Amino acid sequence: MSTEVRSRSRELREARAAAGRRRRRRIHLVATGGGLIIAGLVVAIVIALVNAAGSEPSPAAGPGPAPAIATEGGAIALGRADAPVKLEVYLDYMCPFCGRFETANGAEVARLVEAGTVRLELHPLAFLDRASSGTRYSTRAANAVATVADRAPEKVLAFSAALFAYQPEEGGKGLTDERISELARGAGVPADVVSAFGQRTFEAWAASATQAAFASGVTGTPTVRIDGKAFQGDLYTAGPLTEALTAAAGAKGAK
Amino acid sequence: MTSPVAGVLPRLHALRHSNGWLYGTMLLSACLSLTASFVLSVDALRLAADPAADLSCDINSVVSCGTVGSSWQAHLFGFPNAFLGLMCEPVVITIAAAALGGARFPRWFMFAAQVVYTLGLVFAYWLLSQSMYVIGALCPWCLLVTVSTTLVWSTLTHVNIRDGNLFLPRRAQGALRRAVAADLDALAVTIWLLALALLIVLRYGPALFA
Repeated sequence: MSTEVRSRSRELREARAAAGRRRRRRIHLVATGGGLIIAGLVVAIVIALVNAAGSEPSPAAGPGPAPAIATEGGAIALGRADAPVKLEVYLDYMCPFCGRFETANGAEVARLVEAGTVRLELHPLAFLDRASSGTRYSTRAANAVATVADRAPEKVLAFSAALFAYQPEEGGKGLTDERISELARGAGVPADVVSAFGQRTFEAWAASATQAAFASGVTGTPTVRIDGKAFQGDLYTAGPLTEALTAAAGAKGAK
Repeated sequence: MTSPVAGVLPRLHALRHSNGWLYGTMLLSACLSLTASFVLSVDALRLAADPAADLSCDINSVVSCGTVGSSWQAHLFGFPNAFLGLMCEPVVITIAAAALGGARFPRWFMFAAQVVYTLGLVFAYWLLSQSMYVIGALCPWCLLVTVSTTLVWSTLTHVNIRDGNLFLPRRAQGALRRAVAADLDALAVTIWLLALALLIVLRYGPALFA
């Protein structure tokens, strides 16, 4: 009787030990697999980081041709060269706040440029390419504006205003090339200039102008400077900027 | 035959499963999450009070122009999401601090905490996916919330599996408890966070270096 019980309890013990071994082996297997996944992920992260760091300089490679009316500092200069006040505007056509700035001040700035009071240095930057789902909208828009500046400078402000009036949503795909061309034609840009957008002549210039703006201490858009000094007032309602510009012009007129 | 190295691993293992470590890290992660929620709430209030408040498109930040904060996803329930963090994280902090002081909570309480926090985790990842793939922007404080929420959730799950608080069938409970005892949960969380890091580098890599 006792031998039977003993052998059965031994069988039970052995079965339990075997189950334990199986379990340990399974855990060992899972742990090894997990370790391999971790190693793979770390390698992938390093490769992705190296790729990202390596891909960075390519868009800024080589300065490329600049628009005819470009300044050394990477701006498009509009209005009389001897106008009393210099207004610098740094913007990105994807930046929603630049759109609000344009809505509030675009017409007034255009009027003051037209009147010869203000010399406008427009810096179309292209740093928000990351926010157009891979379509590089900022660069395409800056190139189009630079092309107009090169060959039809009197249409720049109207075209710029049109781009902001139909500004695409940040993070979307941006406007298509066809839509940009359509807006340019609507703003009165001659057809042969519009057809030159596709040559992407000034994309490299836009990239190097963007780098130059960063180097000059611009940290965000819109950045607005009057005679080299940052404008601190309200950028998003009509009035304050016009007043500051008129005041600056008045101060010089009195001298 | 006991080398100094041989003693380290079991000691680390024991530390990782001790109440002090578990509730201590839970406390720390919850505090991080609370801090981030607080910063985001203050931002949200500032944004609501004055939509033009010092808003511009920052060149260095991967956050494009504060549009994450003004999207509809950021106000899913009609108020800034960060308020949820302000409401929930103090509860986790209280649980962790009380447990550090020796308190033990009933099963139903810990189970409820697990359910609610799991919902919070799902919400945090939904927001992350929205901001990464729909809004196209990433905000560092939001990312801190995601990571610390993940850490709190994993610790809470660890505790609840260890203490059998989840009302699971016996076999599942046994298997999970053995997996936790073998530190497979730590492995899973490491893989999880590394995968998250990889996604972010892939999505934002060039921008991080720009």
